[in-house]
Amino acid sequence: MTLLGVTDIAKSFGERRLLAIDTLTLSAGQSYVLTGENGSGKSTLLRILAGIDAPDSGHGLYGAQRFDWHPYPDWLRREVIYVHQHPYLFHSTVADNIVYGLRARGVDAGRREALLAAAIAWARLDHLLATPPQKLSGGERQRVALARAWVLSPKVLLLDEPTANLDAESRRQTIDLLRGFCAAECTTVVACHDRDVIALPEMQPLHLADGRIRPRPVASD
Amino acid sequence: MNLIDATHAALRLLLSADPELWSIVGVSLSVTLRAMLIAMPLGIGLGYLLATLRFPGRRALIVVVQGLLASPTVVVGLLLYLLLSRQGVFGQLQLLFSQTAMVIGQVLIALPVLIAFSLAAIQGADPRARETAVALGAATPRVAWTMLVEVRFALMAAVCNAFGRVVSEIGCSLMVGGNIAGVTRNMPTAIALETSKGDFAQAIALGIVLLVVALGINSAFAFFQGESRQ
Repeated sequence: MTLLGVTDIAKSFGERRLLAIDTLTLSAGQSYVLTGENGSGKSTLLRILAGIDAPDSGHGLYGAQRFDWHPYPDWLRREVIYVHQHPYLFHSTVADNIVYGLRARGVDAGRREALLAAAIAWARLDHLLATPPQKLSGGERQRVALARAWVLSPKVLLLDEPTANLDAESRRQTIDLLRGFCAAECTTVVACHDRDVIALPEMQPLHLADGRIRPRPVASD
Repeated sequence: MNLIDATHAALRLLLSADPELWSIVGVSLSVTLRAMLIAMPLGIGLGYLLATLRFPGRRALIVVVQGLLASPTVVVGLLLYLLLSRQGVFGQLQLLFSQTAMVIGQVLIALPVLIAFSLAAIQGADPRARETAVALGAATPRVAWTMLVEVRFALMAAVCNAFGRVVSEIGCSLMVGGNIAGVTRNMPTAIALETSKGDFAQAIALGIVLLVVALGINSAFAFFQGESRQ
């Protein structure tokens, strides 16, 4: 069953046409790995799907509800979560970062505390709670960002190169958390070049080339 | 009286709890704090809006605000005097030569500083901060609050800068306050008056208080900035 779809999405930067996607559909609970050369528009596509950037034209369908980007609907923001390649953590505490989205949704303090405890256990962040977010390593930041997304139980999770520039252990931990999202039947799109992520059995490939979704070439990436 | 004698006399004045001196300090701090309490939310709010909204004439408005950073306080005082004088648009309010007039003047002087520095702070913030707040489902007011919290130390710099500018300004306070003893005489206007009278002890004593206030504000800023880097 299609959960999120976009049609006739075009995006240009000046003279350069970056995206010209006729149709892209994401099935409920399915995980996708989005591959493509550097500069092929993977990040831009994820940012458009998350409503952070708007396409020049096109429209979308979430379930049976049609939407566009003028403006991107607030109700959809609550279903779709985007995580940057280098996640930004607010200058507060790890715990405050994790519950930020819950506060934004007006979740009461008791429920927030319960979800925070669950997220800390899920991402194994106990030993990092007293560390200022700005002192965390890249891998630790990624785990806090994934926990921050996880507490919101998103229907769609969009991850931009989550394992880029991480050491082997951090990569392994991040991939474990990523598989946790997949197992939870969250529709996940991971833009990446990481062979280990691409090879995950739960991942369905999407390949972006010349601004379009195309069959993934054999032995690319 | 030479400089050394005057300095000794100034220190004696400071230590003797001279009521006139401390009343002048009180007027200065009271007027400036009230002005800052009004100017801070206004200036930071307008700076945020200028940084985030796109509308026709925005760039021209930014140029005007930045130009006003260099506006002489005496000109602000002159314009306010014309507005508040008996023949002025707001003459009926009878605010001229009152602390309220001084507060209004200092708000007008502080605003361009607060707007321009807040604008620069928000524009200089990491764009991922806003995107993250939006992506996590924050509504517009929460996004705004998050951004202001993220750049809080730059905003504190703006507040320190504005405070320093208004607590030491003389032109506007003199014109719309009138330098009335016990009512509108603040540290800068008193320093100017006592110096013209040749009473250097009082002028130096007030100058020391003014310097301590300025150093205190900047030390507090440095402390918080250091905290933010921990």
